[in-house]
Amino acid sequence: MKRNVLKKRFFRELKSEFGKYLVIFLFLIGAIGFVSGFLVASNSMLAAYDESFTTYRVEDGNFELSAPIEETLLATLEQEGLNVYENLYLTEEVKETSGRLRIFKNRAEVNLVCLMEGELPMTADEIAIDRMHADNNKLSVGDTLAVGDRTLKISGLVALSDYSALYEKASDMMFDATKFGVAVMTEEGFATMGDTHLHYSYSWRYDTSPESDKEATEWAEKVLALLMSNAMITGNAPVNFLPAVSNLAIQFVGDDMGRDNKMMAVFLYIIIAILAFVFAITISNTITKEALVIGTLRASGYTKAELIRHYLALPMTVVAVAAVVGNVLGYTVFKEVAAKMYYASYSLPTFVTLWNVDAFVRTTVIPVVMMFVINLGMLVRKISLSPLRFIRRDLSKRKKKKALRLNSKMSLMNRFRLRILLQNLPNYITILVGVFFANVLLLFGFVLPPLVDNYEKDITSNLIAEYQYVLKMSTETAVESAEKYSVTALQTVEGKLKSEEVMVYGVAKDSAYIDAEFGDGVLISTAYAGKHGLSVGDEITLEESFGEQTYTFTVAGVYEYPAALAVFMEQQEWNEIFGLGGGYFNGYFSDVELTDLDERLLATKITADDLTKTTRQLKVSMGELMDLFLVFGVAVFLLVIYLLSKLIIEKNAQSISMTKILGYTDGEINKLYVWMTSVVVVVSLIGTIPLVNYIMKYLFAAILADYPGWLPYSVPFAAYIRMAVLGIVAYAVVAFIQMRKVKGVSKSEALKAVE
Amino acid sequence: MFIEIKGIKRSFGEGESRVEILKGIDLGIEKGEFCVLLGPSGSGKTTLLNILGGIDSADEGYIAIDGERMEDMNEKALTMYRRKHLGYVFQMYNLIPNLNIKENIETGAYLSDNPLDVDELLKVLGLYEHRHKLPNQLSGGQQQRTAIGRAIVKNPDILLCDEPTGALDYNTSKEILKLIEEVNKKYGNTVVMVTHNDAIKHMADRVVKLHDGRIRENYKNDSKVSATELDW
Repeated sequence: MKRNVLKKRFFRELKSEFGKYLVIFLFLIGAIGFVSGFLVASNSMLAAYDESFTTYRVEDGNFELSAPIEETLLATLEQEGLNVYENLYLTEEVKETSGRLRIFKNRAEVNLVCLMEGELPMTADEIAIDRMHADNNKLSVGDTLAVGDRTLKISGLVALSDYSALYEKASDMMFDATKFGVAVMTEEGFATMGDTHLHYSYSWRYDTSPESDKEATEWAEKVLALLMSNAMITGNAPVNFLPAVSNLAIQFVGDDMGRDNKMMAVFLYIIIAILAFVFAITISNTITKEALVIGTLRASGYTKAELIRHYLALPMTVVAVAAVVGNVLGYTVFKEVAAKMYYASYSLPTFVTLWNVDAFVRTTVIPVVMMFVINLGMLVRKISLSPLRFIRRDLSKRKKKKALRLNSKMSLMNRFRLRILLQNLPNYITILVGVFFANVLLLFGFVLPPLVDNYEKDITSNLIAEYQYVLKMSTETAVESAEKYSVTALQTVEGKLKSEEVMVYGVAKDSAYIDAEFGDGVLISTAYAGKHGLSVGDEITLEESFGEQTYTFTVAGVYEYPAALAVFMEQQEWNEIFGLGGGYFNGYFSDVELTDLDERLLATKITADDLTKTTRQLKVSMGELMDLFLVFGVAVFLLVIYLLSKLIIEKNAQSISMTKILGYTDGEINKLYVWMTSVVVVVSLIGTIPLVNYIMKYLFAAILADYPGWLPYSVPFAAYIRMAVLGIVAYAVVAFIQMRKVKGVSKSEALKAVE
Repeated sequence: MFIEIKGIKRSFGEGESRVEILKGIDLGIEKGEFCVLLGPSGSGKTTLLNILGGIDSADEGYIAIDGERMEDMNEKALTMYRRKHLGYVFQMYNLIPNLNIKENIETGAYLSDNPLDVDELLKVLGLYEHRHKLPNQLSGGQQQRTAIGRAIVKNPDILLCDEPTGALDYNTSKEILKLIEEVNKKYGNTVVMVTHNDAIKHMADRVVKLHDGRIRENYKNDSKVSATELDW
């Protein structure tokens, strides 16, 4: 049988460049494995999450009334095709977590509970709490909790199907699974907790499910209209109304996983594209080096296709094998890592690993095709020359490459370096792109933690008061330093950004808590101004959450309050606008805790802890991810710079050897060849930071547009310094290796007959 | 004696595949002499030239340049030796492909405290109008002239030439030999040239014939002929 002798070179080439191929192979396995694991885990979990809507009978919406639901309202709703389920809950403070538990009776008909560990409560003094809330507070089955004035034993850890993300309120920017958790008790146990903190909450499911989000929203509007009509008659007004379609506690996981999948796939494609270009440059150099051999083979009758196949074989094999191994690791090791990360953020039910065609296509088919197309394109272009051109080593596509004239007043060394730069432009451009991408990853890793810390500091140093009370109705306190205010929640009108809650405050004229002059117009919080790009003189229109009334205000100033979207005006004006009497108030600002308020009249107590929940959760959910970004960023950086600078040295081995023979010292040669790469790396490192920063700022705003609230993008300068220093330190390792390589270039290299 | 070569031995490979290339070479070359090393392939002439150039080392024996023994030099000292005293010309020119002609010559000038004027030299070499071109835009003869320019611009004490006409046609070869002859006369450098071409011996002051790692003949020409008069 005839065998293509060229195949024998496959293993020889692999052996001679084993280190290079091993590094690329391992990196590809890491990237493909991680992304595959991520996609497999997220798609499997997403499937389990989607199924949970049916399996666990997740509600189509819920509402809370100020009093128990009337039979008449129930009947009206049922007539409209709604099945309404009582879903009362208690909000109790827990000593061990310094947070709150929302406690439900164990559900039998709607929003069913998934038991993750232990058992469901059997007795009145047992409680099953959310698994993630337990993890975040290091609680386990068998521990006891001081809940309100009761001591309860944790019988099990659960996931509630309507709380896959532990959002306490729909208006929260981020959920806080450390301070807020959900739990279930037996009916008897629930009854023993009293009704001081009882909420009259009801869930509904339609007879037939809406077919789209739009339909779900339209149907929900009808439900709200029914509730409002009922309130007009009975006075039992809805305190809360939340259709599932806009309930972040239900929807957030699905949306977030979808976003993550897209981001991961893009991340992988960028890495594959960079590596494909590294391979393309490597092959291009090999072809230049082996021009005479190629010319001879072509002259002897080898076809272009045979040679293209030959030069494609090794990179394609490396990618294909890495894709297979990466996928195997993805389905085994990395899937667990990704699942752990998701379980650290979300309260998801158990899942079964599903074979995932999408992950296979994204992590195997697309990378292999990308590698194939980029390298094939380069090879077809290179190999298309005539055999004679190869034999004459005349591989330039253009007729004769003219040397660029450089100013001869420039020192020889500088001209030499510039020539190296021009000669290796494709390598250096790939380095620039690689460094840019590595910088994006590094910035993610370096910027988010200080950004979150800064935001936390900003919030705590710009608190209106240590304690902020919202009352169900006016009540007096004996604490003289407490200051009365009025507040209501309105929402922005949906436009480019989703509609979201804005707290509108009416503040005492000479407030001790809000240091501002109120003139014509209103003050808006820095968070509101930042997110909506508002400035003094702009008009804002807000609408009622459960009504049709709209309000338009002119922005008279921006008040330093980063914690939430808020509007501030004088209390008297507020009371007039909202048609309430001059003496009306429904809240207190206070720097000391008000212990004399009747708890039954208290709607909410807001402390610094509540305002910093976003930052806490971001740290928990993104901590590991940030580290991964850093590791991948440094790995991409090292890999690209190492491979390409190695190529530059190899390509110039003969020139380096000749300069050695001429009498140049290793130091001088390093100043030529390694120095140029160093300049490119450092310039790329520092030069791409503004662009990376701009892109991050844009990405950040785009991501936050989907979330309620605002986290200002302000990066401490030290983060950039850290980024640049890490890059330079990483490069120093590569530069050291390259210097050794320069030292290792033998003087006999120049004595070899040039092909 | 300016160059003193004593008992040089050099072998390559190990065990059964060990080949002894130089089997004990003793040779003296005077300052300013034009010395031609002749011999068939494998006779050891290039190996001897490389040892003399400090880019290879001998297993035994020593070379002394103006009394300074090379065997005592470490890598750094050898680099300085090449930098100060040597110019090298190879059969395949070994120009730096991404530098233009002038810059290639300047790489030699950079190493000297007292280099020749580059533009002047370019004119002497007939390369002035090509000075902005890259090596691959020139003919073989022009490239070899550039290589010679790079070697002599620092006005080295010793010019080592390894088959400088090996890749060139008859006329161009003669041009190159004439150039080397002129350089030798004008600047007084000691020239050691390795060649296969027996005809070249007539333009040398000293002819050394190597065979199988040993010197078979070593004599001085009573009279030399000019490179232009050579014929082969």
